[in-house]
Amino acid sequence: RAAGPLLARAGRRAGLGTAPSTALSTALSTASPPGKKRWLRAYLELQRLQAPPQRRSEKPNWDYHAEVQAFSHRLQESFALDLLKTAFVNPCYIESEEARRRQLGLDKDAIALQLQDNTELAEQGLRFARAYLAQCFEGAYPELPAKGIEALVNFLTSQELVSSVAQNLSVQDLALCRDFPAPPDVLQRTFLAVIGALLESSGPERTGIFVRDFFIPQLIGKDLFEIWEVVNPMGLLVEELTKRNISAPEPRITRQLGVSTVLPVYFVGLYCDRKILAEGPGETLLAAEEEAARVALRKLYGYTENRRPWDYSKPKQGLAAEKAISSN
Amino acid sequence: SPREFVEEAAQDFARQHPDVVLYVSPHSGPGPAPVLRAEYLNGTVRDELIASKTSEEIVQLATKLANQSGLDIIRIRKPFHTDNPSVQGQWHPLTNKPSILTVQGPRLQSQ
Repeated sequence: RAAGPLLARAGRRAGLGTAPSTALSTALSTASPPGKKRWLRAYLELQRLQAPPQRRSEKPNWDYHAEVQAFSHRLQESFALDLLKTAFVNPCYIESEEARRRQLGLDKDAIALQLQDNTELAEQGLRFARAYLAQCFEGAYPELPAKGIEALVNFLTSQELVSSVAQNLSVQDLALCRDFPAPPDVLQRTFLAVIGALLESSGPERTGIFVRDFFIPQLIGKDLFEIWEVVNPMGLLVEELTKRNISAPEPRITRQLGVSTVLPVYFVGLYCDRKILAEGPGETLLAAEEEAARVALRKLYGYTENRRPWDYSKPKQGLAAEKAISSN
Repeated sequence: SPREFVEEAAQDFARQHPDVVLYVSPHSGPGPAPVLRAEYLNGTVRDELIASKTSEEIVQLATKLANQSGLDIIRIRKPFHTDNPSVQGQWHPLTNKPSILTVQGPRLQSQ
């Protein structure tokens, strides 16, 4: 946004007349010249800092239609603009607008807004995003059980993550809602409605690529068990090994340091049929055994830190076809 | 000058950058000087004075601002970053030490 040329404001400083030369002239000439006072700048700065935060739409220079178009160009997606505008309308906004109009005392026809909610679009978007992400993870980590995939998908569609992604795409400026700043569940609903609008406008393939590009990078640097809370990793490990017909693991201390000090370090290794499965460190023997079980689970599920990074090269055509079939 | 920019180059700039919304208005900056105000998606706002710049310079400046992300312009400490600093596992003092369980001694040799 650019502020253009401004008309030159000529500074007006009415000059004082001649200084009082004789003692006979009275006190009027000691008045300071009219013009800006010294305290004015500091006062205006204080007013500016103490002003309550305002929505972007209430500040000068705002054109909603142009902003929505720019939003679609920024994402390099072609949206149907009316669907996109519907996606930004939240139910709390409609209620607050109708209440305001009722307070102003308009007729019944004028009160009812002709706007549609974004709840259906949000539900569609959520369903599509969850299904698509679940399919992606099933393809990429085939050994990961259903609970793990569900935990990953829940993390990626959680309020904090989706609302932070939406804030960085400036969805909070375009979304129409009652409160300012918009609460995270409103931002989540708006962003999922945008995904739903994209699904309706461009089809499941492009929406799949969009979801992949914005959600999967949020997993970078995250460990599996930060996202998926597992209470008893040893029990889970024993289940997994029985499924693969491997004998139960035997824990043995591999290394230990500082046993008689305040900060001991124990490395516990899990052995199946005398062969090492995984090794994990810990402060106490129990903690070390649990950590070894977690390391073993990470190796079994293929979610180690040195796994191949995610493949963003080409959209998976098979997925798109399955999506279209399953959503119908 | 900003007048020439608005008359000649502003429309072309807006057409070439469809993802940027260009507002042209008098009297809307913080002070009396003509200012190019760039508002980014993450909330940063950057003001640049354009009073004594030619039209081409303003176009260049606007293109530069449009191509930036809104991250703060501070000194980059190091020009490299990796999310996977270690592939085989980070070294710790016990990495290459043999474990307690390796048995050594004459018993192995006789087998």
